[in-house]
Amino acid sequence: MEAFFQALTVLLTPSHLVYLVGGVTLGLCVGILPGLGGIVGMTILLPVIYGMDIHNAFALLIGMVAVIPTSDTFPSVMMGIPGSSASQATIMDGYPLAKKGEAARALGAAFTASLIGGLFGAFVLSLIIPIARPLVLAFGSPELFMLAVLGMSMVGVLSGNQPIKGIIGAGIGLMLGAMGDAPAIAEYRYTFGFDYLMDGISLVIVGLGLFAFPEIIDLLIKGRPIAEKAELGRGWFDGLKDTLRHKWIVLRCATIGVIIGFIPGLGGSVVDWIAYGHIIQTSKDRERFGKGDIRGVIAPESANNAKEGGGLIPTFLFGIPGSGSMAVFLGGLLILGIQPGPSMLTENVDLIYTAIWSLALANIFGAGLALMLAKPITKLTIVPFRYLAPFMILIITFAAYQASYSWGDLIALLLVGILGWLMKQFGWPRPAALIGFVLAGNLEQYLFISVQRYGFDWLTRPGVIIMTVIIAASLGASIVYQNKLKAAGRTAAKK
Amino acid sequence: MKQWMSIRNLFSLFLLAWFAYGVYEARGYGFLAKIFPMYVSLVLLVLVIVYIAIEIVQGIRKTGGGKGAATGSDLSVDWDMPLEEVYVAFMLNLGILIGVYIAIYLIGYPLAMTLFIFLFYRFMAGASWVASVVAGAAGLGFMAVASHVLGMDWPEGLIALPWPLG
Repeated sequence: MEAFFQALTVLLTPSHLVYLVGGVTLGLCVGILPGLGGIVGMTILLPVIYGMDIHNAFALLIGMVAVIPTSDTFPSVMMGIPGSSASQATIMDGYPLAKKGEAARALGAAFTASLIGGLFGAFVLSLIIPIARPLVLAFGSPELFMLAVLGMSMVGVLSGNQPIKGIIGAGIGLMLGAMGDAPAIAEYRYTFGFDYLMDGISLVIVGLGLFAFPEIIDLLIKGRPIAEKAELGRGWFDGLKDTLRHKWIVLRCATIGVIIGFIPGLGGSVVDWIAYGHIIQTSKDRERFGKGDIRGVIAPESANNAKEGGGLIPTFLFGIPGSGSMAVFLGGLLILGIQPGPSMLTENVDLIYTAIWSLALANIFGAGLALMLAKPITKLTIVPFRYLAPFMILIITFAAYQASYSWGDLIALLLVGILGWLMKQFGWPRPAALIGFVLAGNLEQYLFISVQRYGFDWLTRPGVIIMTVIIAASLGASIVYQNKLKAAGRTAAKK
Repeated sequence: MKQWMSIRNLFSLFLLAWFAYGVYEARGYGFLAKIFPMYVSLVLLVLVIVYIAIEIVQGIRKTGGGKGAATGSDLSVDWDMPLEEVYVAFMLNLGILIGVYIAIYLIGYPLAMTLFIFLFYRFMAGASWVASVVAGAAGLGFMAVASHVLGMDWPEGLIALPWPLG
């Protein structure tokens, strides 16, 4: 408990606050820019945090990722296009409200819901840590290995439209991660004779190549709808009152958000839809949904901020990221010299508390700034993409070059970028690949330690057997479910 | 449709070649370095063969059904233009980027990027001369500040230029 409040006093020193507000401001910008979400935002920050004070770096990273689901509401409401994948469902009712001249009401309700949801996520995270401690410390390398495999198979199965593509997608990440020096012995793998590849490909390159490059290219090809007008209308306080009136919706959807954030593989792209579906199913008067019902804004917005708190739980405790942005966060921890996993609870528990407070404060700052700066931010939504594109290319090439200061970085960015674009076009899940890439090193180490310490007996440990059953069951269930869906689709098509 | 193989199928074949190479190459590694890549690429090789079999079956079904081959029918991105145009536009944008890279190689990163932003604004985005100059200058300013404050570096060109241009 003492450490809990000590972390707050550390965080409230001016330098930490500066980094936190810096992260929040960047997060607000990244959320508004189309196509860029938490993954790209965090990846751009990775070169910046090299050698930085750990608490400052935490404030920066968490400040950024916490507020993206707050600010990505602007394009959803004003233009009807999502600022990131976490606020697609907000469009359903947010955009109709804006057309009715009530954008301010929708945004006011969304920011209040985001704030409460984000605080709830941080609160749950703080509760889980002491409870999970004995359980987590019972995990050895064999269990951690299986848990990583479980996490990856869930990501693969849940993030794509075909389970097999998801698993191969995660495998693409593992193959990229296996390049370079082997962890256990001084041997270089898959270098194709290039010195550059001896250190392996950097996370910055893979994150930007798989996520930023394809979005920028697609937006350049497509162009992007521009908000016809940027009028906020009235109703800030009505929105705030709406959210407070529907406080039980907020809490229910925030709980959904935490749980989904915790489960590997679901993450940002479905949390908003699940919350939206939940609110429609549990409402008696449904006819106004899709036409501008404020509850349709409150539900996804309270869930998508809460998911970051849930997502941090497996990331910290087991070193298994639940989503793409958590994978980058995990990579950031490794850059800072922190090994996430059970040892976090014994050696770096103060960092977990710093993360919890950063998450809570970032949500407060984020909602506050979004309210205060709503007018200028709204003006940003009428800037055509072609004016932003060259600057985005500048930022990603600049960030990529910081990986190892060599031409290899720029060339690798281009090649991984082409791979990412093709994966996007043909429906190979990129978050699965990113998580596979980040986990490759840990997986290999856990596998080694398991085999070295227990021989092949590691396979017979009870925890390992339980998780093998869970993996098999989840794979089997998803294949059956997908087939049912397809059959249903066929009958629907015939009708 | 006569086109029997789409770029989508080619991508699957590329994965097949990649994983097969993964297995082939891993055979030569020492035991400690071998286990992980060997097993990962073996499993992936099997999975991708299964996947390609699924693709072929689906392709035959679709052609048999008289609805045309599987070309781009199940892309994950919604394009409101013909697929051929998308590929052409992609290659065009890729070409621009490669052009920028060549310019970076010749005249260094700051000057090349400043010129790129200026030219892109003027000729691709149709901005005015003044706006284009301002945008280019803003890009240069960003690079100067980022390299100075954050200690970041950039690629130098063949032609040495004084700071902040080279």
